[in-house]
Amino acid sequence: MARRNEVKLNECKMAVSLSTWVLISNFKLAYNLLRRPDGTFNRHLAEFLDRKVPANANPVDGVFSFDVLIDRGTSLLSRIYRPATAEEPQPNIAELEKPVTAEVVPVIIFFHGGSFAHSSANSATYDTLCRRLVSLCKAVVVSVNYRRAPENRYPCAYDDGWTALKWVNSRPWLQSQKDSKVHIYLAGDSSGGNIAHHVALRAIESGIDVLGNILLNPMFGGQERTESEKRLDGKYCVTLRDRDWYWRAYLPEGEDRDHPACNPFGPNGRSLEGIKFPKSLVVVAGLDLIQDWQLAYVEGLKKAGQEVKLLYMEQATIGFFLLPNSNHFHTVTDEITKFVSSDCIKTIGERIMQCIGALLCVDYVCLFKCFLG
Amino acid sequence: MKRDHNHLQPNPDPSSLRGAPSTGKAKVWDEESAQQDCGMDELLAVLGYKVKTSDMAEVARKLEQLEEVMCNVQDDGISHLASETVHYNPSDLSTWLESMLSELNPPSTFDPFGAAGTAAAALDDSFLVPAESSTLTTLDFDNINRKHQKSGQQIFEEASCSDYDLKAIPGKAIYSQKTQPQTHDSSSSSTPTNVKSEKRFKSTSGPPSPSDIFPPPPPPAAASYGIPTASTRPVVLVDSQENGIRLVHALMACAEAVQQNNLNLAEALVKQIGFLAISQAGAMRKVATYFAEALARRIYRFYPQNPLDHSFSDVLHMHFYETCPYLKFAHFTANQAILEAFEGKKRVHVIDFSMNQGMQWPALMQALALRVGGPPAFRLTGFGPPSHDNSDHLQEVGCKLAQFAKKIHVEFEYRGFVANSLADLDASMLDLRPSEVEAVAVNSVFELHKLLARPGAIDKVFSVVKQMKPELVTIVEQEANHNGPVFLDRFTESLHFYSTLFDSLEGSVSSQDKVMSEVYLGKQICNVVACEGVDRIEGHESLTQWRNRLSTAGFSPVHLGSNAFKQASMLLALFAGGDGYGVEENNGCLMLGWHNRPLIITSAWKLTNKTTAISQ
Repeated sequence: MARRNEVKLNECKMAVSLSTWVLISNFKLAYNLLRRPDGTFNRHLAEFLDRKVPANANPVDGVFSFDVLIDRGTSLLSRIYRPATAEEPQPNIAELEKPVTAEVVPVIIFFHGGSFAHSSANSATYDTLCRRLVSLCKAVVVSVNYRRAPENRYPCAYDDGWTALKWVNSRPWLQSQKDSKVHIYLAGDSSGGNIAHHVALRAIESGIDVLGNILLNPMFGGQERTESEKRLDGKYCVTLRDRDWYWRAYLPEGEDRDHPACNPFGPNGRSLEGIKFPKSLVVVAGLDLIQDWQLAYVEGLKKAGQEVKLLYMEQATIGFFLLPNSNHFHTVTDEITKFVSSDCIKTIGERIMQCIGALLCVDYVCLFKCFLG
Repeated sequence: MKRDHNHLQPNPDPSSLRGAPSTGKAKVWDEESAQQDCGMDELLAVLGYKVKTSDMAEVARKLEQLEEVMCNVQDDGISHLASETVHYNPSDLSTWLESMLSELNPPSTFDPFGAAGTAAAALDDSFLVPAESSTLTTLDFDNINRKHQKSGQQIFEEASCSDYDLKAIPGKAIYSQKTQPQTHDSSSSSTPTNVKSEKRFKSTSGPPSPSDIFPPPPPPAAASYGIPTASTRPVVLVDSQENGIRLVHALMACAEAVQQNNLNLAEALVKQIGFLAISQAGAMRKVATYFAEALARRIYRFYPQNPLDHSFSDVLHMHFYETCPYLKFAHFTANQAILEAFEGKKRVHVIDFSMNQGMQWPALMQALALRVGGPPAFRLTGFGPPSHDNSDHLQEVGCKLAQFAKKIHVEFEYRGFVANSLADLDASMLDLRPSEVEAVAVNSVFELHKLLARPGAIDKVFSVVKQMKPELVTIVEQEANHNGPVFLDRFTESLHFYSTLFDSLEGSVSSQDKVMSEVYLGKQICNVVACEGVDRIEGHESLTQWRNRLSTAGFSPVHLGSNAFKQASMLLALFAGGDGYGVEENNGCLMLGWHNRPLIITSAWKLTNKTTAISQ
């Protein structure tokens, strides 16, 4: 038994840098302590061990943050991250919700990971990630502190995501100058990716426009045991046993993993054919045991005629985007940046018009110079 | 494999070992360690973990070891790590992992110095859950009789359920910090228990000195993690109403006018604030009103002259205690630390700088009464300001406590000292007994910041505290920056701080309690905004600033653990509107906040250099 574990550990170590390995192993260790066999969760110890950071209205590396109580009834907090501007390097603390000034400002609603049970919006890991997103995408990031399992099962996390979406959509100060609309993207890792999908689903009939979904190692599953699950069980800090535990903790009691929350394109799923669903960027780690479900998700979107881009990172483990010390990290961040900024210029036609406009301007200047001699 | 992103990180991580031959693996990892400097790994620091780059490989090894041990041990073994073990300072990965390894792998050889016995005993204790508990109750005077009817045994039985009876919350201090002085040059030769304690407090390079224990200001990356720095501004917006925002703007504009000495404008704005405030509901209206009043006092130079009638301020204090959990949290967490520090002591002496009505002490006395081996002799010395009606209120408090002590069969001694300021204190007044005979704890809840107004006062008090040779010093302070030199900054900070505090009161059930608490806090607001110089006693400072002061003065941190954290969290659940309260652990301190905004912090300290050696 010990030998087999040794082999697994060594394989994992081979795949990632030392500090990433330490980070992920530490999480795995802590998480093992917190899950109880009877399905309950040691919430107090979880909160004690989780490294948190307060919001900071003083910019750090050009990004400042503040918390907002979005819904008092459920104590739903979100942390807002904004870029500090050159004109206002130190934001006025009475004007944190000052209107965004750019033509187009992407607003990324972010759902942190943790398999529905762990972490918070103010976990240091996710605070750092959100700050990076702001810098990369010149976006405002809204990180939702959704209610967690097992104390709050399905559909609480989705409800909270939906509340946050409505809130973001109704903030005048988040509207882009170009069209006085809020340019919303949904993003998340692990359970957060799952939440992003389901919130986008809920947005469909509502008239709220979601411009894109970014799913990082999204958490999906099903009753069937897939090939990747069997092959990779226990190898890279994740086991089938713990995956099962988290689904049991989140899904309604008595439901199995073919519940649409877990398996959106499974036997109980809903067809997205003909539906206006946002374009998706889905990142799958090649060493993630649930990749078959993630790939099935991508297939499901494609079959329904939806726009989806798959980023398959062959040698990546879960959590690879938490530390900026691998090629995977940079590939993914580049793709995210492109994904989010591409809505500024929607069509080739628009692009051409822009170029012509630029050319014309230059021509006029030339003419003037000649004229003035 | 091209690596072209070195510009993004100061210490390029040679990282990705895929493709590295397995024989070369160990070598590559060692090389990696050698290449980095001896500082903290910045990438992990930002995520909340303090791991020296040079320790990384060792930390990885410990993780592997733990993984292996956990696979081999039964499920029970792991669950005991989660439910019984007290965890400390999870940011210090190396020490945390080490402590768990020791729990699962007690040393097998018998150490002639008896240390292995200690470690084994520590492990054994963990299985004797109910009988070994030290119980900490959240009593106040009214509940004394009710609690007292329960027998000790009953309380222990309740303790073994996972749903604790919150009136008698069992505390568990397995992981007691051994208080025998250790010669600081012992390192790997000492026992696991001693090594644990030592590693917690000293860096691993060179002999310890105050600067080792408190390194110079961390590099920016580490500083931006969670440790509230002087320039960190946590803000939570609980009220996004249009009027609320306009009110805040008006208040800020008025403060700015005051700062610029444009008193005509300031006067006009203050009046405008009054109008705006009326249309507002809830906490924002009240906060605005208090701030407006304070601004008006400053503008018209009508400073609050006479200190409050003491009995009235006592009443306000008690209502504040009842309405919201801040004082209870402070008392509770401080008591937990004191209880652990007093373990094994036969005679103890608590010196309380914040006596008031003595509400902190019945719970501690109860816990001491119920501890294994019986209670110590308990001596209490309390300090308080003079009262104006010539009553000796400190003596009255002492009498009540003496009666209580008699009921619970604890030998009790009391002395009250009236002083205008703690700086008037002298160690010679205290009739201190030798530390081998009596262990001392010094306690201060929301008192130390008052000394900052007078130059030299805080340093004098620190030096007097050192003369008391305390086992432990517990300090609870507001987590706020209300002592900066610029008025507008202080105003802004305190506006947000008290807005958050008032918002947390809104959920209170009793409206009388709420009103009294608001008046209590209103006095503080008035002081922060309207007063200057030695009169501005509410000069709150942040944890970072207190840490610097204390380490300079010769104190080092004592960590509060997961047991205190858990019990404090459970305590909070009792309060109406409880959902907004949260406890956070930060480098061994416990913070209480409202909607993620830290508001008060409990920290514990000991002397860095114990000058008296206790004879073995």
